[in-house]
Amino acid sequence: MRAVIAEDSVLLREGLGRLLNENGLKVVGSCETADDLLLKVRSYSPDVAIVDIRLPPTHNDEGLRAALHIRANHPSTGVLVLSQYVELGLAMKLLADSADGAGYLLKDRISDVRDFVDSVRRVANGGSAIDPIIVSTLLSKRRNDDPLAELTPREREVLELMAEGRSNQGIADALVITLRAAEKYVSSIFTKLGLPSSGSDSRRVLAVLLYLRS
Amino acid sequence: MLWALGLAGLAAGGSIVTLAARSEVLPEPGVRASLAAWMTLPYIFGGLLAWWRRPDSRFGPLMVAAGFAGFLSTLTWSSVDGLFTIGQAFDLLPAVLFLHVFLAFPSGRLEQPFERVLVITGYATAFGLQLVGMTLGGFGPNNVLAIAGEAGAAGHVLRTQLVVISSLCLIGVGVLATRRWRAGPPLRRSLSVLIDAFALGLVMIAVLFLAHVLEGPATEQLRWATFAIIGLAPLAFLVGLVSARLARTTVGDLFVELRADPAPQDLRDALARALRDPSLTLAYWLPAFGTYTDVHGRPVELPKDDGTRATTLIDQAGAHVAALVHDPALHDEPELLDAVTAAAGIALENGRLHAELRARLDELRGSRVRVLEAGQKERQRLERDLHDGAQQRLIALSLELSLLEERLHGDPDARTRLDQARREIATSLEELRAVARGLHPAVVSGHGLEVALEQLAVRAPVPVRLNVAVAGRLPEDLEVAAFYLVSESLANIGKHAEATSATVGVERLNGRLVVEVVDDGIGGADTERGTGLRGLADRVEALDGRLRVWSPRGGGTRLRAEIPCAR
Repeated sequence: MRAVIAEDSVLLREGLGRLLNENGLKVVGSCETADDLLLKVRSYSPDVAIVDIRLPPTHNDEGLRAALHIRANHPSTGVLVLSQYVELGLAMKLLADSADGAGYLLKDRISDVRDFVDSVRRVANGGSAIDPIIVSTLLSKRRNDDPLAELTPREREVLELMAEGRSNQGIADALVITLRAAEKYVSSIFTKLGLPSSGSDSRRVLAVLLYLRS
Repeated sequence: MLWALGLAGLAAGGSIVTLAARSEVLPEPGVRASLAAWMTLPYIFGGLLAWWRRPDSRFGPLMVAAGFAGFLSTLTWSSVDGLFTIGQAFDLLPAVLFLHVFLAFPSGRLEQPFERVLVITGYATAFGLQLVGMTLGGFGPNNVLAIAGEAGAAGHVLRTQLVVISSLCLIGVGVLATRRWRAGPPLRRSLSVLIDAFALGLVMIAVLFLAHVLEGPATEQLRWATFAIIGLAPLAFLVGLVSARLARTTVGDLFVELRADPAPQDLRDALARALRDPSLTLAYWLPAFGTYTDVHGRPVELPKDDGTRATTLIDQAGAHVAALVHDPALHDEPELLDAVTAAAGIALENGRLHAELRARLDELRGSRVRVLEAGQKERQRLERDLHDGAQQRLIALSLELSLLEERLHGDPDARTRLDQARREIATSLEELRAVARGLHPAVVSGHGLEVALEQLAVRAPVPVRLNVAVAGRLPEDLEVAAFYLVSESLANIGKHAEATSATVGVERLNGRLVVEVVDDGIGGADTERGTGLRGLADRVEALDGRLRVWSPRGGGTRLRAEIPCAR
C-alpha cells in the first residue's frame, strides 16, 4: 500500500512518514506544496494521499483544492485531509456527493497510531474516515422534532462509529460485540431514522451525514 | 479734483452748445450739438462716477479723457483759427480713445501686449499722422499749423488714417469677441450686454470712417447713428453700476434668509443668489487641519489665480473663516461682496464649525478603521504563529511519544505514563485551539463565509436555518465581520432569547452585503446594554455599514446589518 504526504511542517512530515513506514505502508513521496503533491500523485498513482489542509504559499485553501482535484481526477487515489480544526462545512465540501476514498481528520488523531493507520488504510481502500468531532457536532445539533431521541444509547454509539466510516466488523471490534450484533444495531438504526439501507460502508457514511445535517 | 472735472464737464457741455450756435459752417447746428453732447457728456460724467466709486481703477479717468477728447474735437466748429486748429488736431482722437476704453474694461488696464500695440498704433495714427497732415496744409485756411501747401498729400494722409483706425476698431471687435468666447457661458449677464454695446460702437466707428474714405452716400446719417451708439456704451456701463446698487437689495433678501437659520449646506446657495454668481463655491478654513474644506469637511484646494476664478478671503474678529471662490467679474462690485460677507458672518462661522465637526468625525472614523484593521491583522498573525509553531510541535511531540510507546513492548508503568503525557498534550492542544479560534476565525479567511457559517449553525443553541446566497469570496474584513456578527448573535440567542428556532440569512443586495439573524424568542433585547451588540455595531460601522436591531417585547429579535460591498 503506497502513500504520499503533503505537509509543510518538517517535524510532522518526518513523523508521519516514519509512522506509516513502521506500520506497513510505503511512503513513496513527501512534499510541502500543493503543486508538488499533484505532481507526485500523477507520477506515482499512490493508493492514498495525506494532505495538510493549510499549505503554502497562502495557507488558505491550497490543500483543500488539491484534495478536491485529486478526488475528481484520480479516483483510484484516496485522499485523507488533515487539519488543525475540523469544520462541518469543509467536510461537506470535501465529500460533496461521495464519501468513497475520502477522509477528514483532526491532526491530533495521528498520535493515536493504531486508529490513524486504520483510517489511512480504509481511505486507501476506497472507504472513508470522518473525524468523530464532525459526527458528534452533527449529533449535538438541536432539532425540534428529533427521531434521534428514539435511539438507544448503544444504537447512538453504533451510529457514531458508522458515520466515522467504520465497517460493521470495525464497529463490532470497537464495541467488543459480535459482527452479528453490530449488523442488527445498524439495521435497527436505519429503520428508526427512515433511511434506506445502502450498500457500501462509505455510501452509508454520506447517507448518515446528510441525514444528520439536514 | 472730481468736482473741478465735473464743472469742466459742464463748461464743455455749455461750450458745445455755444460753438454750434455760433458756427457759421455747421449745417443743422441743433442736431449736431445734441449728438456731440450725447457722445461727450455721458463719458465725462459716467467716468467721474466710476472714478468716484472705484478710485483704484483707471477706467474712470480713461472715460473722462475720452469725453474731453470728444469735446475738443468739436472745436473744429469754431471760426477762431487757434481753436479750430486744436479741434482739428484732436478730431480723430476720440475714436481711438473709445477703442482704448472698450478694450480696457473693466480694470482700466490693457492686459495683453497685443492690445497695447493696437491702442498705441491707434494714438500714433490719430494724433501723429494728424499733425503731419496738418503741417502738409490740409483742412483749409483756418489751419494755423499749415507749412506746406500740399493739400492733396494731406488728403492721402487722412484717408490712410481713416483706413488704419477702422482696421484697428475691427480688430478690437475681434478681441472683444474672443474675450467673450473665452469666458465661456456668461456667468454674469450685465457684463456681456456691455461688451456687446462696446463691439457695436467699434463696428460703427469703422463703418463711418470707411464710408468717409469711399465717399459713401449717407455719411451724415451714419455719423448720427455712430454717435448715438457710442453714447450708449457709458449708459450701459452706468446701468451696470446702478444694477450693482440694486443688487444690494439681494443682500436684504440674504438677511431674511439667514434669519431663518438655513442648514449649513444651504448657505452657499443663499450666497450665490445674493451675489448673482451661480458658480460660487464656499471653502471653510479649518486651522486645526491647516486646510480648506467643503461643508462636509472634505479637503478642497483653492484655485490658482489664473484669471478664470477669483478668491475672496473672509476674516472675522481677526480670524480667517472662509474663502469665496467666484467669477472674477464680482471684483467690480466690491461693496456687494463686502455687504454679503458681512451679512453672512454668523452663518459662515456656523458653517465652518459644521465643516470642522464633519472633518473630525471623518478623522475619528478613519482612525477607528485603522485600529480595527491593525487589531485584526495582529490577531491573524498570532493565530498563524500558534498554528505553525506551538500546535505543530505539540502534535509532532505527541506522535513521537506514540512511536516510542509502540517500541515499549513490556513495561506497563512506562506505557501508562506515556499515555498520560499524551493526554496532557491533547488537552494543551485543545486549549490552544480555543485560543487560536478566539483570535481569528482561520476557516473564514481560508475557506470563506459559507463554509464557516455551517459549523456555527450546527453548533447553535437552537435549530438554525441557514440561507447563504453569496457566490464566491468577499473581501476578508467583510467576511470576518459577518462571521462575528452571526456568531455573536447566535450566542446571544442562546443566552437571552428563549427562542425555539432562528434563521440566518446572508445575501448580496444592490452592492451591499446584508446579514440578517432572526429568532422567535421573547424579544426586548437592549441594544445599549452589554458590550456584545455595541462591539458588533462598531465592526459594522467601521466598514461604513449599518446595524439595526428590532426587538419588540414578545415578538422575537431581528438583527440586520448592511455593509457596502462593491465587488
